[in-house]
Amino acid sequence: MAGAALRDQLSALLSSMFSQGLVDEQFEQLQMLQDEGGTPGFVAEVVTLFCDDAERIIAEIATLLEQPIVSFDKVDAFVHQLKGSSASVGAQKVKFTCMQFRQFCQEKSRDGCLMALAVVRNEFYDLRNKFQTMLQLEQQIQAYDHKQQ
Amino acid sequence: MAPAEEAGGEFPVGMKVLVVDDDPTCLAVLKRMLLGCRYDATTCSQATRALTMLRENRRGFDVIISDVHMPDMDGFRLLELVGLEMDLPVIMMSADSRTDIVMKGIKHGACDYLIKPVRMEELKNIWQHVLRKKFNENKEHEHSGSLDDTDRTRPTNNDNEYASSVNDGADGSWKSQKKKRDKDEDDGELESGDPSTSKKPRVVWSVELHQQFVNAVNHLGIDKAVPKKILELMNVPGLTRENVASHLQKFRLYLKRIAQHHAGIANPFCPPGSSPNIGSLGGLDLQALAASGQIPPQTLAALQDELLGRPTNSLLLPGRDQTALRLSAVKGNKPHGEREIAFGQPIYKCQSNAYAAFPQSSPTVGGTFSAWSNKLGMADSTGTLGSMSNSQNSNIVLHELQQQPDAMLSGNLHSLDVKPSGIVMPSQSLNTFSASEGLSPNQNPLMLPSQSSGLLAAMPPSMKHEPVLATSQPSSSLLGGIDLVNQASTSQPLISTHGGNLPGLVNRNSNVLPSQGISTFQTENNPYLVSQNSVGVGSKQPHGVLKTENSDPLSRNYGYIGGGAPLMDSGLLSSQSKNTQFGLLQNQDDLTGSWSPLQNIDSYGNTIGLSHPGSSFQSSNVPLGKFPDQGRGKNHGFVGKGSCIPSRFAVDEIESPTNNLSHSIGSSGDIMSPDVFGFSGHM
Repeated sequence: MAGAALRDQLSALLSSMFSQGLVDEQFEQLQMLQDEGGTPGFVAEVVTLFCDDAERIIAEIATLLEQPIVSFDKVDAFVHQLKGSSASVGAQKVKFTCMQFRQFCQEKSRDGCLMALAVVRNEFYDLRNKFQTMLQLEQQIQAYDHKQQ
Repeated sequence: MAPAEEAGGEFPVGMKVLVVDDDPTCLAVLKRMLLGCRYDATTCSQATRALTMLRENRRGFDVIISDVHMPDMDGFRLLELVGLEMDLPVIMMSADSRTDIVMKGIKHGACDYLIKPVRMEELKNIWQHVLRKKFNENKEHEHSGSLDDTDRTRPTNNDNEYASSVNDGADGSWKSQKKKRDKDEDDGELESGDPSTSKKPRVVWSVELHQQFVNAVNHLGIDKAVPKKILELMNVPGLTRENVASHLQKFRLYLKRIAQHHAGIANPFCPPGSSPNIGSLGGLDLQALAASGQIPPQTLAALQDELLGRPTNSLLLPGRDQTALRLSAVKGNKPHGEREIAFGQPIYKCQSNAYAAFPQSSPTVGGTFSAWSNKLGMADSTGTLGSMSNSQNSNIVLHELQQQPDAMLSGNLHSLDVKPSGIVMPSQSLNTFSASEGLSPNQNPLMLPSQSSGLLAAMPPSMKHEPVLATSQPSSSLLGGIDLVNQASTSQPLISTHGGNLPGLVNRNSNVLPSQGISTFQTENNPYLVSQNSVGVGSKQPHGVLKTENSDPLSRNYGYIGGGAPLMDSGLLSSQSKNTQFGLLQNQDDLTGSWSPLQNIDSYGNTIGLSHPGSSFQSSNVPLGKFPDQGRGKNHGFVGKGSCIPSRFAVDEIESPTNNLSHSIGSSGDIMSPDVFGFSGHM
């Protein structure tokens, strides 16, 4: 694909992510840091870290919620962690769902938590997909540019 | 690591930041952002590891950014530790923006609290915290420098290590302070060329300062006393939280020791030989001390500790210890140390009398006096110290007391139970020295004329608030012997608190400290009161008045005082009684506050007394005859050395109240007014 087309695709993707509220200004800051700071792999690195970490946390929460007796404090701690991560990377929607999740934790409602977990998981998967696409596009663009040079 | 200035001297470029967070995403983001701010960022995902890194290299970082919720350690805990140990600015961070959590962070001492996601703009400003802290420290140092300086000039605080205060001068005071601290490890502050780096000058915990500290701790409650609050309560310019924190640590150890001592205190009258410590203190130590002329504060503290620990200590011990204490105290503080030594020795010998039990006491007493006298600076010389004579007197008095148990302390005289009252008096009554409230009730206020104040402090409870002086009945017995006492203008109030007051002993008029010392004890009610015990007995003026024989009783007193009665001999006799006070003070109930071992004599009761919990001292509350000036909180007479709080901590298990005495003597940085000592020159 031509470089221009790739770039268009990437920018369209990012626009939609922003407009849908999947990512917020924080993510934009990260992009700026990468572009202006001359650290090309920065966003990719952070996004990857986030995705791996989030996956781990979600799995942990799922396990906790499956216990006969749920330790809501632990669940809450994990949710809090996820909230922090998502906030740091700019994953806005995931962050919001985490906030809602915490409510259920405080209510100590297993069903509520299970439901909230499902929502968080969905949002996360959705975002992850987009991130993966974004990263692929970026790699392709880089490859293309590199080839061009 | 090189300070920020390495980056070209352009602060805050290159500022070293340590980020601690278990979230890898956040760590990566923060690191990148910090790099964007041109800081030197290090990340760490484990709080424990971060702490290790910090401990290994205190100067390696300028600021810490830490997450609140971490699996291996609570962020607040890390915050506290860093603040205590390294005193670096710590910024808390969390996705949790609840006000109460944020407040908690601030309360724990966080410089700032950032909510995730942390923005670049916020990070750009963190250098302000670093700078601010440095400037504040510098300012503090300067203040403390001057503060210290003042103390330094005082006879009591002759701490060579006072590096800070030195006003070195001109160049950035803080700088000079820094330099001075060569011995001070604390200097490890960021060395950055940034002038704001402040090396905190070493703080010398003078008696006063310690008293303030103790008061603050008392006020807060020993369990709730945190450095920050203590610092606030103390409100001492130039004092940093780190200073307070380290001091608090020592204080706590000290208290623990006291408690242990207290628990371990055996019967009050253990024969001299029985307690190894005492024994050593009594004879050996004293000698040694005398010889060395320098009793390090630690010893003193230890002595005091011992004293405190011993609730009742037999008079024996106290006496001995006291002497030892005194000597140490004396030494420690002061320049006159030598003189004292001399006294100590002779007195020591005198002992022997009547109180077989307290052989040592005499020396102590005497010694103490001398020590005190020196301390006070008054006595210009050992002569004044006369303490010997005092001790002698005291011994005599004690002796007398001993003989007439009834007559003497109103019944207190239990076999030398050294009641906290600190009165050296062999009998419990000595406790009475503490005239002040704490005095054990039974004690007869032998209290010597308040003059000696210090010693008398032990006014026996019966005396009750009567200024040690004359307490009431001039116990004949005592008086007889003590007769000298009167003379001693130094009024070493005879501690004889025997029930009555040994008129003779009491110097009332003696120029000596006006009963202040003794009365002082009363004042405060310090539980610690130390029987000012002033060795009242004979407190006489160091002039040879009492000499001999009496010394025993006197010394006893001391010992006694130390043991049970919180002799706080306010400076006067200071040395002697005071020490006892120290031990006596035991306020047992609350260490806080009186901990200051060195604290003024009168506070002795308090300070020293740290009231060993449970000390059986009766007197425990015997108000130390505070010295006139000394007020509890003031650094009393303990001349200088006493103030070294640190030494206190060092407390070596010296037991016997006598230690206290010495302690008090030497310690009070403020040496009570010469009068108090009675000796002051009169001797």
